[in-house]
Amino acid sequence: MNRWFIRPHRRHSISMTYVALAGLLISLMLLAACAPAPAAAPSKPSAQKEAKATPAPAAKAETFRIAVGIDPDTLDPALSTTTTVSNIIEYMVETLVVTDKDGNVQPKLATSWEVSDDGLEYTLHLRKGVTFHDGTPMNAEAVKWNLDRMLDPKVKMPMRSTFAAIKKVEAVDEYTIKIYLSQPFAPLISSLSLENAGIISPKSVNMEGNSYESVTRPVGTGPYIFEERVKGERIEITRNPNYWGEKPYYDKVVFRVVPEAATRESLLLAGQVDLIILPPISDLPALQKNSDVKVLLAPSDRTIFIAINTLHKPLDDVRVRQALNYAVDKQEIIKGVLFGAAEPLDAPMAPNLFGYCKLQPYEYNPDKAKALLAEAGVKDLQLNFIAPTGRYVQDFQAAQAISNYLNEIGIKAPVSTMDWPSYVAAIMTPPDKNTIDLHFLGWAPDYLDAAQQMMQFYSPESPPNGLETSFYKNPKVDELIEAAGKETNPDKRKDLYCQASRLIWEDAPWIFLWVQRFPIVYRANIAGVDYHPTEKFSAIYAHPAE
Amino acid sequence: MTSFTHYIVQRLLAALITLIGISFIVFLLVRLLPGDPARVIAGLLASEDDVARIRTWMGLDRPLPVQYATFFGRMVRGDLGISARTKEPVLREIMTRLPATVKLATISMAIAGLLGVLGGVFAAYRRNSILDFLISVSTLFGISMPVYWLGLMLIVLFAVRLHWLPAAGSEHPTSYILPSFTLAAFSIALVARMTRSSMLEVLGDDYVRTARAKGLRESTVVLRHALRNALIPVVTVIGLQFGALLGGAVLTETVFGWPGMGQLLVDSIFARDYPMVQGIVLVFAVMLITVNLIVDILYAYIDPRIRYG
Repeated sequence: MNRWFIRPHRRHSISMTYVALAGLLISLMLLAACAPAPAAAPSKPSAQKEAKATPAPAAKAETFRIAVGIDPDTLDPALSTTTTVSNIIEYMVETLVVTDKDGNVQPKLATSWEVSDDGLEYTLHLRKGVTFHDGTPMNAEAVKWNLDRMLDPKVKMPMRSTFAAIKKVEAVDEYTIKIYLSQPFAPLISSLSLENAGIISPKSVNMEGNSYESVTRPVGTGPYIFEERVKGERIEITRNPNYWGEKPYYDKVVFRVVPEAATRESLLLAGQVDLIILPPISDLPALQKNSDVKVLLAPSDRTIFIAINTLHKPLDDVRVRQALNYAVDKQEIIKGVLFGAAEPLDAPMAPNLFGYCKLQPYEYNPDKAKALLAEAGVKDLQLNFIAPTGRYVQDFQAAQAISNYLNEIGIKAPVSTMDWPSYVAAIMTPPDKNTIDLHFLGWAPDYLDAAQQMMQFYSPESPPNGLETSFYKNPKVDELIEAAGKETNPDKRKDLYCQASRLIWEDAPWIFLWVQRFPIVYRANIAGVDYHPTEKFSAIYAHPAE
Repeated sequence: MTSFTHYIVQRLLAALITLIGISFIVFLLVRLLPGDPARVIAGLLASEDDVARIRTWMGLDRPLPVQYATFFGRMVRGDLGISARTKEPVLREIMTRLPATVKLATISMAIAGLLGVLGGVFAAYRRNSILDFLISVSTLFGISMPVYWLGLMLIVLFAVRLHWLPAAGSEHPTSYILPSFTLAAFSIALVARMTRSSMLEVLGDDYVRTARAKGLRESTVVLRHALRNALIPVVTVIGLQFGALLGGAVLTETVFGWPGMGQLLVDSIFARDYPMVQGIVLVFAVMLITVNLIVDILYAYIDPRIRYG
């Protein structure tokens, strides 16, 4: 046969395969190093048919379409750890209580509750006549099953320690449950407003796709029923005809997953979705001028700050830390870099938390800053400053502006950045190996109570034990925080947090920056869109505007 | 055994060894990335107890060789483990995402092959004409434009301004248009440039002159005689482009909210979801090796002189 042996050719193609594979691996590494962090959870509404040019496409449709930035890792309330995921789940799964915009606890599946004097026994009375989407009754047995499931080690619930104080749950009668604690935990009722404590139908874990360990089709008591999910693309839910409360307007809601902020904005402007969260921040001024859409800069509970490593010299000197606070013009950065999407901090926590009390803000005063530095004998200070990119609104850009302000009082602190998991590892490095002086961070309690905020100032929580990454330690503050955690009298508890706040404010373990606003943008022909300060939209009762 | 089957068997064995190597490299690479997967999954607010518990669930408290042995043992049995992020089996997650990426990459490859070869042939045949100039300029654009930017520009034009096409999603047939052209842009340009230069070389060859001298129709000369020979390097490029398309899918899928593996890979890397990243890279590698094998076989079809021994 006319056989041609073209070995070089074949070898050539194999080596090309290796080149390509090596390229794939290298790009994987590069991607990990430089790709922008995904924005908040995205959801994508379907109904592409309505993509036609009509200026207000949603009004006639009975479908409400929302674009979010992340693909939910889970739809199991117990397993979820991100706000946007909770935001989606709460359309279907309700909790025993909810917190309103001001942090006050309101009834939901529980109508009332009592606490024993020692703070160790909570009795909750449940709403009568509520059924799950599968028709089974929501009663004390079902609630007990849910709370037990949260505490069951077989269920890999990431945030379990929030509920660590719960010792035992008992169904007293059809509509009464009792929760026994092993130690007093004052924010218990507030913590039950977390979507993690959402109540699902015990029977539903036997459904196709669900298991006791992980639920992919949540069956709750909420105003919407899970219908379909295409991972990475969309989640569709339909209105619950038997909902016990006020029924929503839209027959159907579609959450569309769109990681890219500019694409979310385009979907909204093209009328292909009705509501988006987190548009590109630099487009806020243009969106605010656009009459087709409305911009809601929702107050949130996310404090943005620069944690100062209080163990490093000369940052262990309170005068130096106060100088840093006087050096930065927060108002100007909010206006110029954040396009107004923030409010300056006037306490070590957001105003919507229980336990907040307003303090005297650090004004912009570079002369005072310089004087304080001189008083502390600090000259030619160089600091190692890091900030994440794309994790918080304009984080790296704001950090650069701050670096300039520090430069003006003679502190050299150039900013560097890294991807999020590396960042977290860097700031959590134990003190002996930690070389970072300043780091930019955001902190948002899951429920509107100072308890989770104060973890940032409670010294036993410093790395490697927790994320008190300033290593700040004031025994008096630690004492006050511990006392507040056990105090069941709300007025006394609030006062304890106030006292702690005043000491923290004075000690300045942070450069106190601002409370971030959470931008929600929706079509102007929609009404009834609101927010919740835990960086959530609240659009269950959205309806066409008249 | 014929020489051809022998060749295939040899190639498959080589592929297997490559895969084992890749499984090892990717296992190490993801672990070399800084960051604690357990902390990323738990979030900032979680306590250190929570994080330690998650670390145990993920098996990260065990020594690396033990972790690799477990991973390898499962892999051999076709089990890629459980995703740390979604708590679902990795293989099932990948299989639900794979079709969307394969469809997108295949359509893009078809577009790139068709438009690229067509453009290249025209440009070469009408060398130095206005058409050649236009094609050269647009291929330059295609090669230099970042996928991200191009995707967003197409969305602004066709979704926001003209209201013709959906900006994101995959549920409607028209949803394919923007992402596949965005993804194909670079490959179209590359293939067109390759085809043009390869055609120019071949068109000057003696046998083309001979074919013309024989009085064959010009179309026969160009398509049968010249193109067939000119295509050999082009097919190599198209084959290799499939790898680039899979890589490009990561960006394209993110821009267009496309429910494929690219988006899943990004999410998994940011969550330091080791089992999922390992699984996706392995699947990508299998696809790449397969496509290269197909390309090698195609050579023989295009050029009958090539035989494998």
